[in-house]
Amino acid sequence: MVDQKKFTVSHAPFWHDGSCIRSRSYHTMLAALPAVLFGVVRYGMPAVGVISLAVSSAMIWEYVMNRIMRRDITIGDGNAALIGLIFAMLVPASSPWWMVIIGTFVAIVVAKQIYGGIGGNPFHPALVAVAMLMLSWKDLFDFDAALVNYEFDFAMAYPLAALKHFGTAAVENFTPGALLMGNQIGAVGTPFGLGLIAGGLYLIVRGFVRWEISLSFLAGIFVTAFIFHQADSARYAGPAFHLFTGYTLMGAFFLATEDSSSPVHFIPMLIYGAGGGILTMLIRNIGIHVDGVVFALLVMNIANPLLDKIRPKALGKVF
Amino acid sequence: MTAKKELQLAYAMAIVLLVIGILSYTAFSAKPPEEPVRIMFKVTAGKVLFTHKVHGAESGYGVDCMTCHHHPEDDDAALRACGDCHAHSEKTAAKKASNTCRECHEEGDLESEETPKRSDAFHEQCISCHKENEAGPQECAQCHAM
Repeated sequence: MVDQKKFTVSHAPFWHDGSCIRSRSYHTMLAALPAVLFGVVRYGMPAVGVISLAVSSAMIWEYVMNRIMRRDITIGDGNAALIGLIFAMLVPASSPWWMVIIGTFVAIVVAKQIYGGIGGNPFHPALVAVAMLMLSWKDLFDFDAALVNYEFDFAMAYPLAALKHFGTAAVENFTPGALLMGNQIGAVGTPFGLGLIAGGLYLIVRGFVRWEISLSFLAGIFVTAFIFHQADSARYAGPAFHLFTGYTLMGAFFLATEDSSSPVHFIPMLIYGAGGGILTMLIRNIGIHVDGVVFALLVMNIANPLLDKIRPKALGKVF
Repeated sequence: MTAKKELQLAYAMAIVLLVIGILSYTAFSAKPPEEPVRIMFKVTAGKVLFTHKVHGAESGYGVDCMTCHHHPEDDDAALRACGDCHAHSEKTAAKKASNTCRECHEEGDLESEETPKRSDAFHEQCISCHKENEAGPQECAQCHAM
């Protein structure tokens, strides 16, 4: 084993291509900005509070863990801030402060630092936090109940909940165009579909996320929703509705594509994305939860190492 | 950007956002409106989202406040919340109503201080009005969402 030939590379000097975790984090935050700003304009100060507290507390938890674990301080790379921002985008604007603090604790301490920090986490940290909060304080994630004091000029019912409880007749007014423009209630950063798509495309073009995962996730949702809709159109909404509401677009561009919890090879990426989309629709249509993105992606996160075993055959013979 | 500057930027960002966050939750927190916009009734038979403002607004269903808030009569300024008199369960209904009655009435003034529990009062009020006007949901699952 000692004599085994390792990876052969050319001689030094090497040239760094300039990419770093910091630029990756801040570009992702920049991509999320349209959807975040839309949330701030719509929900006002409560949304500002949730976002500010989530980002800052995530950074503080990271700092505290760095200190406790006697490691280098890593909050400079922006990854903790990014996790805080994504977490804030997934919760209602009326979330109490303690829920935000607990959420970022779970995301940073339980779902990231315990696994050894960035790159070691098997799940998307923000997804773990949201899943834990959703199961522990179900009522706080009921968007209809959380936003009772808001009044806008469109139907004030969370589309996925209305669909689940009252069938497709209750969501006829939610046209794909209206949903894309953010005329729906939801979490701080998820209703504005157009902003999320713009951010997602920016990340894809800049090479920060892989289009294979995003596209296959959306395709998985589209195809599964289409099949269900064809089977019973009174009970199951069509694919356009499911693509532009709930956590779908957030999942496609910001959640499923997280580096350490998603595959790197082409076929595994397609299976991972499509599996996430199919599971999301199964949970939405026949599961107990209103939205399935969080749990579907966590399940696919678990499958990630196994999926990545599907890899191209090495050329030549290995002795 | 050097690692030191990177870290300084992060510290500054964390502190500024923490201050903004605390201020947003305290000094600039949103106050709930005086008149509820919507009310979510969380009950075992499935929660009910009641569009309070739409029911009362002229542009909505235009229901007069006193139609539901029936006591004290003819005094819009003294409207009481339903739960002040109609308690969740029969066990607590008598006590709750009695406490509220004491705010204006002396003990023994009233012939009866009994009030129906909240679910009975709501069912009676909502369904009878919907039936009378042939508008709005009348079946259980049209209001109650599990």
